[in-house]
Amino acid sequence: MHFKVRAATKDDCKEISRMILELAVFEKMPDQVKITHEELERDGFCHNPFFECLVAEVPEEHKSEDGFTIVGYGLYFYTYSTWKGRSVYLEDLYVMPEFRGKGIGKGLLSKVAEVGKKMQCVRLQLSVLDWNTPSRDFYAAKGAQDLTASEGWHFLRFDGQDLDNLANEAPKD
Amino acid sequence: MDFSIRAANVEDCKDIARMIVELSEYEKVAEHVKVTQRDLEQDGFSKNPFFHGIVAEVPEQHKTKEGHTKIGYALYFYSYSSWSGRAVYMEDLYVMPEFRGKGIGKALMSKVAQLGLAAGCNQLNFTVLDWNKPSLDFYLSQGSVDVTASMGYHCMRCDGEALQHLAQP
Repeated sequence: MHFKVRAATKDDCKEISRMILELAVFEKMPDQVKITHEELERDGFCHNPFFECLVAEVPEEHKSEDGFTIVGYGLYFYTYSTWKGRSVYLEDLYVMPEFRGKGIGKGLLSKVAEVGKKMQCVRLQLSVLDWNTPSRDFYAAKGAQDLTASEGWHFLRFDGQDLDNLANEAPKD
Repeated sequence: MDFSIRAANVEDCKDIARMIVELSEYEKVAEHVKVTQRDLEQDGFSKNPFFHGIVAEVPEQHKTKEGHTKIGYALYFYSYSSWSGRAVYMEDLYVMPEFRGKGIGKALMSKVAQLGLAAGCNQLNFTVLDWNKPSLDFYLSQGSVDVTASMGYHCMRCDGEALQHLAQP
């Protein structure tokens, strides 16, 4: 099946938002999605954007059952390793179920890696849920290492009231 | 002990590079550090910086044996959660051993949280090695949640040849 991977535009944010929710449903956490296409439009297309995004598009004649031609996305941002330097973090990679197995996920992932390479990034990082075997296998097949399993890295997070409490204790300037 | 926290400037990169190596020695991976003072100057202080830094400083009379007054740092950057929006990621938090136990680490981390909130972020994320019990205990006691333990997220990485291969169209 013919498909195209291109940089997302502000107008794509409604579709990206739709697919973010589909991915969250797949990850069994749909109630965790708090942002809408409005935040994506504001944060992805401002000066010094918080993220960049690629979308995968199919021609009209291959649109989905519900009439969508934007059938996948890869959302990423630049990060920094104080050991190795510039890196890129793949926050989301998603292809609608009816379009899987056609190389679209690989196409999106490769494009993110290529974009990162142009920016002189030496790492591509992401996270995956431990029970998500198809995804773990997909990334392992592409040469990704599981740093939690091999080196013991854990993600920690402050949010909500805990984040507010922490910030309130910052020294006064 | 009196100390101050301020935004890092390009002149601080020499001390930050020194402390990055000290932190990597603590994490038992000193041979992995490839970033130099010059990389930090270019990547942190250009038009679209890859990171931001804050440093902790003590007065002259409390300087180290080697004469350092910059004795701690935090390095962070903005990131994004497709579920909750703007976030801040703390890449490094470090205080020189002789200055620990005085609230400096806590002050650096709080400052990152404050800067993040001011920028509209609603998460502060970072990673810690599972064997690093002092750090893990510190962060959990401050109210952080271990998302790997509780939700099962694993950190994955592609680099070197695997990344080169992946980047080919």
